[in-house]
Amino acid sequence: MNSSRNRKIKEIIDQLTLIWKEPILFIFILLIFYFLITFVVFPIFQVVKNSMYINGSWDFSNYIAIFSKRYFVQPLINSIVLGIYTATIGTIAGFFFAYALTRTPLPFKNFFRLTITFPIISPPFVVALAAILLFGRAGSLTPWLKSLIGNYSIYGLGGLVLVETIAYSPTAFLVLYGVLQAIDPSLEEASMDLGASWSKVFSTITLPLATPGIASAWLLVFIQSMADFGNPMVISGDFRVLSVQAYLQITGMYDLPRGSTLAMLLLIPTITAFFLQKYWVSRKSYVTVTGKPTGATVKNLDWYIKLPVYGVCLLYTGIVLLFYGTIVYGSFQTLWGVNPTLTLKNYVEMLEVGKDYLYDSVFLSSIATPITGILGMFIAYLIIRKKFIGRGLMEFISMLTFAVPGTVVGIGYILAFNQKSILFPFILTGTALIIIILLIFRDMPVGIRSGIAALQQIDPAIEEASTDLGADSNTTFRKITLPMIAPAFFSGLAYGFVKAMTAISAVIFVVSGKWNLITIAILGFVDNTQYARAAAMSIILIIIILIALGVIQFLVNRIGKGVRLTTIVE
Amino acid sequence: MRKFLLIVFTIVLVFFCLNGNVLAQKKVLHIYTAFDTEEAKYYIDSFEEETGIDVQWVRLSSGEVLARIEAEASNPQASVWHAGSNTSHINAASKGLLEPYKPNTDFELPELFHADDWAWTGFYTGAIGFVTNTNFLAENDMEAPTSWDDLLHPKLKQNVALAYPYTSGTAYTTFATLVQMWGLEEALDWWEEFDRHSIFQYTQSGTACIGMVGLGEIAVGIAFSHDILAKGINAGYPVVMTFPEEGTGYEVGGLSLIKGGPEPELGKQFIDWCFTVKAQDLFQKYSRLPVNPKATVAEGSVTLDQVNLIDYDHILAGESKDEWVAAWRDRIGK
Repeated sequence: MNSSRNRKIKEIIDQLTLIWKEPILFIFILLIFYFLITFVVFPIFQVVKNSMYINGSWDFSNYIAIFSKRYFVQPLINSIVLGIYTATIGTIAGFFFAYALTRTPLPFKNFFRLTITFPIISPPFVVALAAILLFGRAGSLTPWLKSLIGNYSIYGLGGLVLVETIAYSPTAFLVLYGVLQAIDPSLEEASMDLGASWSKVFSTITLPLATPGIASAWLLVFIQSMADFGNPMVISGDFRVLSVQAYLQITGMYDLPRGSTLAMLLLIPTITAFFLQKYWVSRKSYVTVTGKPTGATVKNLDWYIKLPVYGVCLLYTGIVLLFYGTIVYGSFQTLWGVNPTLTLKNYVEMLEVGKDYLYDSVFLSSIATPITGILGMFIAYLIIRKKFIGRGLMEFISMLTFAVPGTVVGIGYILAFNQKSILFPFILTGTALIIIILLIFRDMPVGIRSGIAALQQIDPAIEEASTDLGADSNTTFRKITLPMIAPAFFSGLAYGFVKAMTAISAVIFVVSGKWNLITIAILGFVDNTQYARAAAMSIILIIIILIALGVIQFLVNRIGKGVRLTTIVE
Repeated sequence: MRKFLLIVFTIVLVFFCLNGNVLAQKKVLHIYTAFDTEEAKYYIDSFEEETGIDVQWVRLSSGEVLARIEAEASNPQASVWHAGSNTSHINAASKGLLEPYKPNTDFELPELFHADDWAWTGFYTGAIGFVTNTNFLAENDMEAPTSWDDLLHPKLKQNVALAYPYTSGTAYTTFATLVQMWGLEEALDWWEEFDRHSIFQYTQSGTACIGMVGLGEIAVGIAFSHDILAKGINAGYPVVMTFPEEGTGYEVGGLSLIKGGPEPELGKQFIDWCFTVKAQDLFQKYSRLPVNPKATVAEGSVTLDQVNLIDYDHILAGESKDEWVAAWRDRIGK
C-alpha cells in the first residue's frame, strides 16, 4: 500500500522533472493543450453555454421551450429513427460484404471492395443527388418504379435511409472486414471438420465472435447518420432532422440560443453512442492479434450459402454503380429533366464559375491536411510513448471531435470566434484561417488513430535501444520512430485530405465570400435545381480526390511497404 | 523533431499574421453582403474594377448580418450592409446601428424605397408571384393560378411548394402579405387548408421551388418575380409567371451605412455607385427590378406597376416576424 503510493509519487515527480529534462517537449505539450482547449473544447463549451446561459444566469428555459413544441421534438425523434434504420441496414449490408470477401471464394474481390468503399471518397450528398435524378418525381426510373410499387416519394425517411445506407455502409464494412479478417478461420474450419453444418458454425462461432465488431459498426454508422447534414439538406423533404433544423434555426431565424439547444440534442445521442463504442463495445473484443496475418480462407461452401451472399453483393454493387453512373450521365445533359441533349457545357461552365471554389477547396485542404497529419502523429506519439500529467485528458479531447456532429462544431466556431476572447484575441470569422483550423481539428482523430495504430505495432524496445545508445528523444523520434510510422502517416494524410475536400456540415457555418468551398457551391447548385451543373462539379471534385490519392499512394509505395489507403478508416 | 515542429509552428504563425487584423492594408472597404456569393461577386467585382477600391466582403444571411453588426457595435468591422430585405435593415435602424445617409443619385428615389431619415435605402425590388409548369397546365387543361384561392384547386393536390417562412425571406414575405391582407387568424386558417391540401413539401431556400416546378416535380411554386425569371424562365424551363389578382407583397432590397464603420467615405462612394445606371443595369443578369428609372429592366420582367400590390408594411412585417413565425409554426406544426 505504502510502497504503491510511493511509487505513484515518484512517478509524478518523474513526470514533473520533464520540465527541465526536456523543456522543448514540455513546451509543445503545453502548446498542444492550448490548441485543443481553444479549438476543440472552447467551441463546444460555447454551444452548451449558449443553450443554457440566458441573461446572466443558467437555466433550462430553452430546453423546456423546445420540448414543449412538437415542431422541435419531431426532428429529434426523426433523427434517432433515421439513425436506427440506417445503422441497422448499413451494418447488415456491410456484414454481407465483409463475409463475402473474407469467407467465400467470391470472384473479383478487389472490384467489390472498391465499389462498396467508393462512397467514402465522394462528397456526402452526391448519392442523394443521384437518388433525385433517378427516383424523384421527374426521375428517369420513376415511371418504372411507380408501376411496380405505386405512388411514392423519394423525399423523406425512405429516400434518406436509402442514400445514407449507401453513404455510410462503407464504415460498417471496413470495421467488420477488419474484425472478420482477424478472427482466426481455423476455429471455423475445425468446427466444420468435426461435422457442424454451416448454419451451426455461423451462429455459434462466426457471429458471436463478430458481435462486438457488429455493435461497433452499428454505433459508428448511427453516429454518422445522426450527424449527416448534406443528404438531409438535399432529400429530406418534410422529414425534418436535427442537424438541418439547427442550421436553419441559426441561418434562417438567427436564433443562436435555440439553434445551440437543438445542436445539444444532437450531441447527446452521438456522444453516448461514441462512448458505448469506445469504452464498452471495443473492450469486449474477442479478436486475437497474433501478429501473423491470418488471411482469409476459402472453404467449400454450399451453393445455397454462396448464392444469396453473391446475389446481395451483386445487387448492392449494381445499385452503387447505377447511382454514380447517373451522376456521370447527368453531368453531360444540357438541362436535366428538360433537355437531355448531351453536352460538355456543364464542365466548361463549372471550370469557369467553379474555379475559385475549386482553388479554395484544394488550397485550404492542402494546408490543413499536412498540419492535421503532423499534429495527429505528434499527439499519437505523446499518447503512446510519453508519460506526462494529463495524457489521458489529451487523448480524450483530441478524439472528442469524432463524436461531435459537424453542425455542433460549426455553431461552436461561429460563437467562439466571431468575438475576441482571452483564449484567442482575434476575430476569425470570415477568414481562411478559421476554415483551415476547423478542418485540422475536425480531421485530427483520423491522424491520431492511424498514428496510434502504427506506433502500437512498433516495439518500444527499438526506441529504448536508441535512447540507451545516447540519443535524446528528438533524435530517436526523427531517426527511428518517424521512418517506421511514415506509411501510416501518409495513409492518414490521404484520408484527411478526402475528409477536408468533402467536408460540409461544420464548414458551412464558417465559409465566407472570400473563402468558399466546392462542396457548399455544389449544395447551392442542388438547391437551385441545377442538377446537371451539380453533377459535373461533383465529378470534377471526385477526379481531384482520385488524383490526390494517386499521388499519396505513389509516395507511400516509395517510402513504405504499400499500405492500402482504404484500410486506415478503422 | 525540433526542426519540423519549428516549421509547423512557423506555418501556423504566418497564417495568424496573414489573416485580417494584423497586417494593415491600403485603400480597403469592408462590407457585409446578403446576396448569394456568385451574385455578390458579380456586382462587387464591377465596383472594384471601376473604382480601383479593394472590397473585402463577407457573405452572410440578413439575420446574421444583423446579429454581427449588433455584436460589433462598439467596434464596427464593416462600413456597408449590402442587400438583404429591408425589414432587417429597418430592425437595425430601430436599434440605432445605422448611419443615415442620403445617396447622391441622378433621380428622385420614391418614398417607398427609403427610410424617412435615410437610415436605409432600397436599391432593387421584386414582387411575390406564382411559377407554374406549362406542361402540367396543358395536360390538365388548366389556367395558371391568378389568385391565392386558385392554389387550393383540386388538381393542385400535393402539387405546390415553397420555403418554410422561418428559413426564407421569400416565404416569410408571402405569409406576411396574407397576414396584412386578411389578419393573422384568417391567414392561418387559409394556410392550414393550403398546407393540408396543396403542399407537396416545404424547402429550405426561397428559390428551390422554381427548379422543382421547372422539372415537373410539382406544378406550382411561390417565389419572387426576379428569381422566377432568372432561375425559371431564363434557365430554359417550361414555366410561366403569374400574380394573385387580389394583391401581392413585395420586397425592397436594402442598402445602408453602418454607424461608426471604419471607412465611411468609401462606404458612401459604394452606396452612390449602387444607384448609378451602370450598377443598376447589372441587375438584368439576375432579373431584379432596378429602382433607377433610367436603368434597363431585364427582358420579360414584370414591374411593380403591372401587378396589384398590397399596401405592404415592411416595418410591421419586420417587427412582427418572431410573433408571426411562432404562430405559423404552432398552427402548422412544421
